[in-house]
Amino acid sequence: MNKQWMIVLVTAAMLPGCASVKRGAIPVVDSGAPVSEEVSVRQPNRRANAPAIAAQSVPADTGVTVMVPQQSSEPLQTFGAPDVAFSGESAQAPAGGTGQWTPPAQSAPMPAPVQRQPMPSGIPSSSGTLSADEQLDGPVLALLTTAQQQQGGGDLNGAASSLERAQRIAPREPQVLYRLAQVRLAQGDAIQAEQLSRRGLSYASDRPALQASLWELIAQARERQGNAAGAAQARERAKVSM
Amino acid sequence: MTKSRSSRSRSKRRSAASRPWLGWLIKLSIVALVLLAGVAVYLDAVVQEKFSGKRWTIPATVYARPLELFVGQKLDKDDFLTEVDALGYRREKSVNGPGTVSVASNAVEMHTRGFRFYEGAEESQRIRVRFSGDFVAGLARMDGGELPVARLEPLVVGGLYPAHNEDRILIKLDQVPPYLVETLVAVEDREFFDHFGVSPKSIARAVWVNLTAGEVRQGGSTLTQQLVKNFYLTNERSLSRKATEAMMAVLLELHYDKPEILEAYLNEVFLGQDGRRAIHGFGLASQYFFGRPLAELKLQHIALLVGMVKGPTYYNPRRHPERASERRNLIIDLLADQQVVSPEEAAQARQAPLGVTQRGSLADSSYPAFLDLVKRQLREDYRDEDLTEEGLRVFTSFDPIIQSKAEKAMTDTLERLGKAAEGVEGAMLVTNPETGELQAMLGSRHPGFAGFNRALDASRPIGSLIKPAIYLAALEKPSQYTLTSLLEDEPFSVKGADGKVWKPQNYGRTAHGTVYLYQALANSYNLSTARLGLDLGVPHVLKTLARLGASPDWPAYPSMLLGAGGLRPIEVAGVYQTIANGGFNTPLRAIRSVVAADGEPLSRYPFKIEQRFDPGAIYLTQYAMQRTMVEGTGRSVYNQVPKSLTLAGKTGTTNDSRDSWFAGFSQDLLAVVWLGRDDNGKTSLTGATGALQVWADFMRRADPLPLQMPVPDNVSMAWVDARTGEGTRDNCPGAVQMPYIRGSEPAPGPGCGLQAPAESVMDWVRGWLP
Repeated sequence: MNKQWMIVLVTAAMLPGCASVKRGAIPVVDSGAPVSEEVSVRQPNRRANAPAIAAQSVPADTGVTVMVPQQSSEPLQTFGAPDVAFSGESAQAPAGGTGQWTPPAQSAPMPAPVQRQPMPSGIPSSSGTLSADEQLDGPVLALLTTAQQQQGGGDLNGAASSLERAQRIAPREPQVLYRLAQVRLAQGDAIQAEQLSRRGLSYASDRPALQASLWELIAQARERQGNAAGAAQARERAKVSM
Repeated sequence: MTKSRSSRSRSKRRSAASRPWLGWLIKLSIVALVLLAGVAVYLDAVVQEKFSGKRWTIPATVYARPLELFVGQKLDKDDFLTEVDALGYRREKSVNGPGTVSVASNAVEMHTRGFRFYEGAEESQRIRVRFSGDFVAGLARMDGGELPVARLEPLVVGGLYPAHNEDRILIKLDQVPPYLVETLVAVEDREFFDHFGVSPKSIARAVWVNLTAGEVRQGGSTLTQQLVKNFYLTNERSLSRKATEAMMAVLLELHYDKPEILEAYLNEVFLGQDGRRAIHGFGLASQYFFGRPLAELKLQHIALLVGMVKGPTYYNPRRHPERASERRNLIIDLLADQQVVSPEEAAQARQAPLGVTQRGSLADSSYPAFLDLVKRQLREDYRDEDLTEEGLRVFTSFDPIIQSKAEKAMTDTLERLGKAAEGVEGAMLVTNPETGELQAMLGSRHPGFAGFNRALDASRPIGSLIKPAIYLAALEKPSQYTLTSLLEDEPFSVKGADGKVWKPQNYGRTAHGTVYLYQALANSYNLSTARLGLDLGVPHVLKTLARLGASPDWPAYPSMLLGAGGLRPIEVAGVYQTIANGGFNTPLRAIRSVVAADGEPLSRYPFKIEQRFDPGAIYLTQYAMQRTMVEGTGRSVYNQVPKSLTLAGKTGTTNDSRDSWFAGFSQDLLAVVWLGRDDNGKTSLTGATGALQVWADFMRRADPLPLQMPVPDNVSMAWVDARTGEGTRDNCPGAVQMPYIRGSEPAPGPGCGLQAPAESVMDWVRGWLP
């Protein structure tokens, strides 16, 4: 009698434990993840596009608008170096295609560019030459394309993050700021969209097409902020720029 | 069981004589059984509850910025290799698996490890980086594919630990290197894959060994029992604990399969102590002892780590390399005996050095000042438990290369200054003026010391660092002030709002008569600046300072115009950031994004800007600050850096040299340095002889891009006569070019026809130079 009792008791005690979790189906939630061991396969196809993109970057050096083939709907709008047709001056295109490498303009020697000037001024050259980091070249173009894909896929945070990466690489490239402003606007941050466009303008002299786009973006951002008059003003500037 | 059966038989025999005994015994055994069953149920619940839920709390890991690679990037090859070494890449003749690098004269080949970032994954890939001078001249995949941009995995800056803590890097069983499981099983629990939690065979062997030796020498614990002991129980050595352990081991085996248990063991096992931090699991131990991911360990490393399980302190390879080496080789032999490895492999592994890095590269004390800031910023958005338990990954803008240069600049310069720097403390901040990201921070002259973080917390009078705010306020009124406006640098006194008479003095107590506006800033003349500030109005100057980014609650006294008010170095950096960034204010950021342990993006700290000033006024202010470096109080910078490096900045010195400041920037780097005594005592260091020396040393090491501000649309260059400040032509003697806000430039003078001889031009200029 006692023995039976005992068996029943022990069995009763053990059963819930045995029954509750099936082998191999343990609801484990890891609270951490390996730090550097992993090779994520989240976006296996992303890199595969890189060669194609790099190949597309060749025309950028000639100063024409680059259209990057996209999966997403919108074409990536980029602006080349100052267009001869716009400025009427012969823009000094920087030497070197994609294959060749020329170090970025490293020194603005003091005494400054103006030959006759006896005093150092530290004033940068404002002729038609673009400094190297304003060229839309490999890394920036690749990141703008990545951002475009992320935005197309609805990942605005990812797009903004990629664009900030591009901005760190080419902080003075107004096209990066333009795209960042676009994404901010899409995220509903009209104030930052306007501010970033304005920052873009400060780097976009001699690039009237881009200036017009930046003013247009400012106009949209102002509309979004309920500033119709400001938007109209910006639209006027957009026309002047063109 | 035995007990209850015997009591029952006994009670049967005596049933007639002592009936109450029987009842008691039955009741007692039932109670005992119920208790036992209760214990079993309880233990089972414990086993499952802890094992099926979140098994470990993981401190947040803070990462440096990942190093980006692209053609045209300014990156010194040596700096690059420093980072690659810090990441634990092994130098080999040819690239051979992730984590290896092969270095040729101006090219580096490497197999990157891959990493998951906030916005996506960076694949592990074989790449070739070519250097030319200080630049990356080529970047390509080794399979020939194009590669516009790549980034390395980020260096770990530190973690956010609770007061007493365990730390680990979780690994999965399919990520472990070959031989790890085999070695562990061979050494610790040969029957692991056959037993049910406890191994009677092992226990019998242990009992025999211990009995014959007369003392406890060997444990018969299985891996499961060891896991149970570490995971659920205290370190107490008693029979009842041993029984509990065995019971729980069996229960654990009932519910979970072997790989599951093995994986838990690999992550749980204690392998070392790093200060307050306990190193748990093979994943972290691999980083801690070898500076590389577990998957990249070779046989000899695995043997060393598995050998340490027996006694992590006793076999610590950094403290007792000989012991550790002996134990390692013993284990390699054991593996050869059991034919886990071939004799050749064993011989090779035995001959390999221990391969342990100098010190734990993850120590959370390496960059205390920067981590301090990261913690403060994170605490605004996360609870402490989230930070110390959830395994968050925090991506920052910290640049270890810049940091190491800042540290060296501070340490070396203070050493060079010798006696003058005795008892002097320091703080330093480095930011990227174009993004507002903090790249380096020193909270003390001793970079490794945690404690009072002067960069964030020491509010000290800023002296002449205030002056750019005054000149900017003036230059915002182009109809009244230009760079060549004339200012009187003569003694005067005023009665301030506080009723006191204020009589400013120049450094050196000499007046300079009539000077150009930009000269007064470049040479940091107090008399002319104070007069200018009073003309503008102290409240207006303070308002300008607020627009620049600092709103201290200073009273609007005239003495504020010469920097009697205190600011913290990080506030100074914010103010100069706005000047450096074309008048766009950017909140300084240290954190880029936070990602959950499973890779899910949690938060981002985006780049934000706000235009606060007309770009033209900023351009002119920067121009005057460039002249500071060329001919003014900052000119000694060019003893250390080449003349071609255009810089802008400002010195700051307070009364009796209690504070020595310098703040300034190049195109891509902004740095603020403060030196002074914690007790606010006198020093012999001015801004120029103290802080500027550290700053210049840093810029020499960092070799930044020269400042090159785009000329705003509303700025035009005009030729002026250097002696008179009046408009002239480019062919006139003493003609210099100056920037003006359009419309404020002096009317162009008549041409000069014949040019004066070159010699006399130079004389004119020399005479004009202060």
